[in-house]
Amino acid sequence: MLQAPPRRSALATLDSGPVRTAGSVAAAAIVFALLLIANGTDPVEGYRAMWDSVTRDSNSFGDVLVRLTPYLLAALAVVVPARAGMFNIGGEGQLLIGAVGAMVAANTLDQAVGRGPTLVCMAIAGMLAAALWPGIAAAFREWTGTNEAMSTLLLNYVAALILAWLVFGRWKDPAAAGYPRTRILDDVESLPLLWGRVHIGILIALGAAVSVWAVLRYTSWGFRLGVLGGNAEAARRAGLRTGRLSASALMVGGALAGLGGMLQVSGVEQQLRPGLMSGYGFIGVLAAWMVRHHPLKAILSAGLLAAIAVGGNGLKIRAGLSGASVNILMALMLLAVLGWGTPRRRTV
Amino acid sequence: MLLESVLVGAVRGGTSLVFATLGETVSERSGVINLGTEGSMLAGALTAYAVGIETGSAWLGVAAGMVAGAALAMVHGFLVLRRGANQIATGLAVTFLGLGLTSLFGQSYVSQGVQGFSTHAVPGVSELPFVGPILFDHDPLTYVSFVIVPIVSFGLFRTGVGLRLRSAGERPEVLETMGTSPERLRWLALAVGGGLAGVGGAQLATAFARTWSEDMVAGRGFIAVALVIFAGWSPAMTIVGAYLFSGAVAFQLELQARGTDISIFILDAIPYVIVLVVLAALSRRRRFAMPEALESVFDVQSSAP
Repeated sequence: MLQAPPRRSALATLDSGPVRTAGSVAAAAIVFALLLIANGTDPVEGYRAMWDSVTRDSNSFGDVLVRLTPYLLAALAVVVPARAGMFNIGGEGQLLIGAVGAMVAANTLDQAVGRGPTLVCMAIAGMLAAALWPGIAAAFREWTGTNEAMSTLLLNYVAALILAWLVFGRWKDPAAAGYPRTRILDDVESLPLLWGRVHIGILIALGAAVSVWAVLRYTSWGFRLGVLGGNAEAARRAGLRTGRLSASALMVGGALAGLGGMLQVSGVEQQLRPGLMSGYGFIGVLAAWMVRHHPLKAILSAGLLAAIAVGGNGLKIRAGLSGASVNILMALMLLAVLGWGTPRRRTV
Repeated sequence: MLLESVLVGAVRGGTSLVFATLGETVSERSGVINLGTEGSMLAGALTAYAVGIETGSAWLGVAAGMVAGAALAMVHGFLVLRRGANQIATGLAVTFLGLGLTSLFGQSYVSQGVQGFSTHAVPGVSELPFVGPILFDHDPLTYVSFVIVPIVSFGLFRTGVGLRLRSAGERPEVLETMGTSPERLRWLALAVGGGLAGVGGAQLATAFARTWSEDMVAGRGFIAVALVIFAGWSPAMTIVGAYLFSGAVAFQLELQARGTDISIFILDAIPYVIVLVVLAALSRRRRFAMPEALESVFDVQSSAP
C-alpha cells in the first residue's frame, strides 16, 4: 500500500536551501562586523559606506552591473567543467588570455572595418585564445593524467607573465610616458554603452548564463557532461569519449572566461595593463561554488560579490581600510554556504 | 660562478617553500588537501612580522606565525571534517580569507622595518669551498628547515602516530575498525601542516624579504601544493621540489643580472612552466603514490584506468 509522504513541519520548511543560504550570508556579515570592530573600525559606519557606494545613484548601481559581467562569466567558466566533475581554477588566467586575444584582433583589424564586425572579431578571438589556454590543461590531463585543478592554477601565473611581457614590451604605448600599458582602444573597438558607464556586456553575460543553463539542461552534450561528472566509469562503459568530453568542458569554460576578459577590456578598461582583472577569476570560483554550480543562480551570487567589491571602494575611501578587506566578507560567505548551506545530510 | 650563485639563491628563496610543502605533505598524507596553505603562509607572515615588531623578539614572532597558520588551517579543518564541505573550494575560500584578514590587519604594518633574522655563517663549515656558502651561510630558519625535514620524515614513517596518520589517508575504514578516529588524526595533520606553512610565511616576512606587503606570499602556497605532488608525497623529496622551483627563480634572476636579450617576463615564467611540465611528466607515476583517500577529492572522475 502506498503511504502518504510525511508532511513537512513548519520547522522543516525553514530548513530549506534558500533560507539556509540567506542565513549563511547574514552570519558571514555579522562575523565581518566583529572583525571590523577588532580592527577598531565602526562596523555600522563601514556597512553604511559600503551601502552608500552601491546605492548612491544610477551610476553606482551601474558599477555593480559592470563588475557583475566579468564575475559572472568567470563563474560560468567554473560551472561548465564542474558539470563534468572537473575543477577549473584557471579563470584568472583565462580572463587575461581572452583580453590578449581580443587585443590581437583589434590590432590586426586596425579599425579597417566598422564597430560591429570589429567587436565580433575581438570577442571570437578572445574566446578562441581563452579556449586553447585551458586546452593545455586538458591535453596534460588526457595524455598524462595531470590533475586539472593544479595545471589550471599554475597556468594563471604564466598568463599574467605573458600579459606583463606584452604591456612592458611590444605593446607598450610610447605615448604612455613610462606607464606600462597598451594603446587606448578606439571607439570602433569599444562596447556601446547602455547608460552611464554600463556597457552592453551585462546583457551578453546574462545571455551567456541563460545559454549555459539551457545547453546543460537540454542538449545531449550537456547531458553527457552530467553523466561524466556523475559517474565517470559508467560514462566510459556507455561508450562516451570521456577525454574529448572533458577537454570540451574545460575549453568551453575557458571561452566563457575569455569572453569576460574581452568585455572588460572593450567595455571598461580600454587598454591592457599589469594587474588587470586581478582576483576576478578567483571571485568567479567563489560565485560558482556559492550556488553549487547552478548557472542561473550564479547571476545572483556574482551580483552579490560584485556589490561587495564595489562597496569595498566605499570602505577604502570612507573608512580608510585596505580594498582587499572585503575579501574577508566574500570568503566568509562562501565558507558559510559550504558548511551550512545545505540541510544536513547524514555523513559516514 | 653561475652554478654556485644559483644554488645559493635556490636555498635562500626555497626555505619558505620547504616549510609549506612539508606541511602540505603531512596534511595530504592524512587525506586532506589544503589549498588554504597560501592563506596560512600569509597569516604566518603578517603575524610573525607584527609580533616581531611589537615584542622585539623574532623567535616569538615565528612562534606566533606558526599558531596563526595553524589557526587558519583549523578553519579549513572545521569545514571539511565537521561540515563535510568540499576540500578544494574550502581551501580556496580559506586562502581568500587569509588574504583579506592580512590586508585588513596588516595595513598599519606595510613597509615598517623589522629587526627580523639576519644570516649567520656556521663557523668552520661555511668556509668550505662551494658547499659552505650554499648550505651554511643563511638565516636561522633555513637551518631549522634542514632539520625539520628528517624530523617530519621520521615522525611519519617511524612512529605510531605517523603510521596512524598515514592510515587515515590510505585506509580510514581500517583505522576505524581498530577504534582510532581518522578525523582526529586529520585534525592533527592539518594543525602541523598549517603551522609549518605559517613558519614558511614567517621566514618570508622576517628573514627573506624582511618587510610586509599585501599579498606578499604571491602564490608560493599554491606552488607548495603542486610541489607535494611533484615530491610524490615524500617529506624528503619536498626539499628537492622546493629548491627546484626556487633554483629556477634564482637562475632566471641571475640571467637577468648578467644581462640577456630575453624578456624578463618570459624568464619569470620559467619556474612555473618547469613545475607544470615536471608535474605533467610525473603524473602517471605519481598516481600510485597518492594517498588513496585523496583520490575522490582531487579527481572526481578518479576511476580512470
